[in-house]
Amino acid sequence: MRIGRFLIGAIIIGLAVSYLVYAGIRETSVYYLKIDEFDAKKGGLTGQDVRVAGRVQHGTMNWNASTLDLSFQLGGFDKEGEPATVVPLSVAFNGILPDMFAEGRDVIVEGVYEGGDRFVARTILTSCPSKYEPEAPAS
Amino acid sequence: MPDVGSLSIALALMFAIYGAVAGVYGALAGRAAWVRSAEHAVYVVCGLVATAVGVLLYALLTHDFTIEYVASYSSSTLPLRYTFAALWGGQKGSLLWWVFLLSMFATVVHVQNRHRNRALMPYVTATLLSVAIFFLSLLVFVAQPFERGRPVLEGADLNPLLQNYWMMIHPPSLYMGFISSTVPFAFAIAALVTGQLGDSWIRTTRRWAIFSWFFLSLGNLFGAKWAYEVLGWGGYWGWDPVENAAFMPWLSSTAYLHSVMIQEKKGMLKVWNMSLVLLTFALTIFGTFITRSGVISSVHSFTQSGLGPFFVAFLVVVIGVSLALIVYRLPEMRSENTLESFLSRESAFLFNNLLFLGIAFAVFWGTVFPILSEWVRGVKITVGPPFFNRVTAPLGIALLFLTGAGPIIAWRRASPRNLRRVFALPLAAGAVGAAGLLVAGVRHVGALLTFAFALFTLTAILFEFFRGVRARQALMRERPGRALARLVGKNRRRYGGYIVHVGIAFMFAGVAGSSVFKVEQQVTVKEGESFSVGRYTLRYDGLKETDSPHVAVLAAVVTVMRGGEVIDVMHPEKRFYKKPKQPTTEVSIRTTLREDLYVILGTYDPDTKAATFQAYVNPLVAWLWIGGLVLVLGTGVAIYPGAAERVPAFAARRAPAGAVTT
Repeated sequence: MRIGRFLIGAIIIGLAVSYLVYAGIRETSVYYLKIDEFDAKKGGLTGQDVRVAGRVQHGTMNWNASTLDLSFQLGGFDKEGEPATVVPLSVAFNGILPDMFAEGRDVIVEGVYEGGDRFVARTILTSCPSKYEPEAPAS
Repeated sequence: MPDVGSLSIALALMFAIYGAVAGVYGALAGRAAWVRSAEHAVYVVCGLVATAVGVLLYALLTHDFTIEYVASYSSSTLPLRYTFAALWGGQKGSLLWWVFLLSMFATVVHVQNRHRNRALMPYVTATLLSVAIFFLSLLVFVAQPFERGRPVLEGADLNPLLQNYWMMIHPPSLYMGFISSTVPFAFAIAALVTGQLGDSWIRTTRRWAIFSWFFLSLGNLFGAKWAYEVLGWGGYWGWDPVENAAFMPWLSSTAYLHSVMIQEKKGMLKVWNMSLVLLTFALTIFGTFITRSGVISSVHSFTQSGLGPFFVAFLVVVIGVSLALIVYRLPEMRSENTLESFLSRESAFLFNNLLFLGIAFAVFWGTVFPILSEWVRGVKITVGPPFFNRVTAPLGIALLFLTGAGPIIAWRRASPRNLRRVFALPLAAGAVGAAGLLVAGVRHVGALLTFAFALFTLTAILFEFFRGVRARQALMRERPGRALARLVGKNRRRYGGYIVHVGIAFMFAGVAGSSVFKVEQQVTVKEGESFSVGRYTLRYDGLKETDSPHVAVLAAVVTVMRGGEVIDVMHPEKRFYKKPKQPTTEVSIRTTLREDLYVILGTYDPDTKAATFQAYVNPLVAWLWIGGLVLVLGTGVAIYPGAAERVPAFAARRAPAGAVTT
């Protein structure tokens, strides 16, 4: 039956796609947590890949240009002067310093949580907090 | 002056509402005067929106910073061409631009059809105007472009990342592609509402579908080239949600361009084609929703704008109405024929459709996964490029095979003899290519298959041209050049399409080369020191500094050597824009057909005078852009107007009973 043959092909493609998606998600998905959410869950995430969003703490950035090693503390989004609400993460990264990276900036780190407060980042994503929004213009 | 703009938009909304209602009333009551009036309303809306755009442009050009939009996205030092780009560079401006293009296209559609499709047109009018009503409502009630802001002396300027010529062509192309997909959508809705389900709506919108597909292709390619040349991370596609948002409608649109040919030839897949047209439009709305609402975080997002819920509501209405209409008309959209053979061009088209939609499904799933997982499990789970690459690669490779097989396999039923005849040479070429690569040490399965299938496709299509020319030479006694011109001229859609396929094969080769065989190097060096990447040795020869009121530039001098010989000098830069204060990277790229050498200046330490560089070698990436050019050429051939199109014999293929006449 012609339609039958074709339907089998369609089902095979459908199953292949579903399997690819399922396996892909299972193997490449990472939690994307704000640092306070991460703080709450980190006990169970040791050794795992995870993405954490936080703020680079003032006075903690250390950049060695000759070895390309960067280290800093990633803390919460607290306002200046207020006490810290989360335990900062010590992040280590090796590579080119991203353009927008600076103390006080919001960043997203993706990498492996090693336990305690240690985090080895593979990628650092920086964003201007309001990329397409105007800075308050000077009057 | 800005009040003229606001007034124009408000009036446009009113006329749009009038037109939509009048058109439907005129159709239902059989009163042609009302239908005509509705069409005139379209022209009036177009004029009013054009006026509003003109007012905004005037405000930008005269630096009227009392208007918040102008103050936010331009400045008195902004170069003229980017002042134009500021029209669509911000949220409100881009919404206005959207409805501007929509009303222009609507005008063209109505002029084209003023003596045709009279049964369909009232509903085409109503649908187009309804979409306009949505966007105009946003502009009147939620996001007013002419809103006054705090008084300022100077504007905040267009974001420096947007200050390049790509900003002049990438968003406009994508918008052209997105918005023109509203036209086939409107005709599809009209066909469903009126029950005029014959092929008239398809034939009328055929060029619109290709037009839309063309600009979606261009828009995506421009975005990739922009990312590659400007954003400076060594790649051209990041599977960012907003990239995916522009990719998905392209996928469904490409599927449609193929499956519609089956409907033309055999009267099959009517529901499928209808659904694809509706899906493509829905995906463009979904895409613009993702871009604007901030719901999925992305490097592209306009701010968290609060427009999200409106787009969701509109999307729900669009999908709901479309589904309801399709279900309503299901009995009247029966296939007129059946699939005769598993091995046929029809079958190849069906499989390519499934693959395109499979990719679209996978991309969609990966894109919305963070939102869904947060909703269902309370925690956001993301997937990145690794997910998208590993899922789309096998499907893409299968599609590449069909890209070559489709044009050569016979319609209806391919006999074993026919298959042997047409597939032998292309398959041999592919096999030889694969063997050659294996001998050269390539072991990556994806790359081997991609290059083999690309060769297969190129050979198959070359052979198609060759056989066509030979046939004309024999029959018409024409010289080869003339035979080729005549061959293509008389079958523009077919041979234009074949040229597009060649472009696609090139693009796959470019993608495979630059992803699988990419080489990367990161290093910090002092002046005079060298480092190597791929076959090249790069020597850092110092820094040049320049300053202007707009921007300060640090340009590194990098001498490139290969095999001991100096072959080039490159100048990767770091730029420091003054307002807003933002550093950007100007990548330096040395392109050859074989590979790109891509150098980024990372950081510069004035104390140690050491510079940090990141360098990539991207093999074959030029073929991605060459493929894009070939695609443009092919589309131009396919869409070129001419009477020499052989119109498929619709009457001939119709089954005796149950057929719907136009």
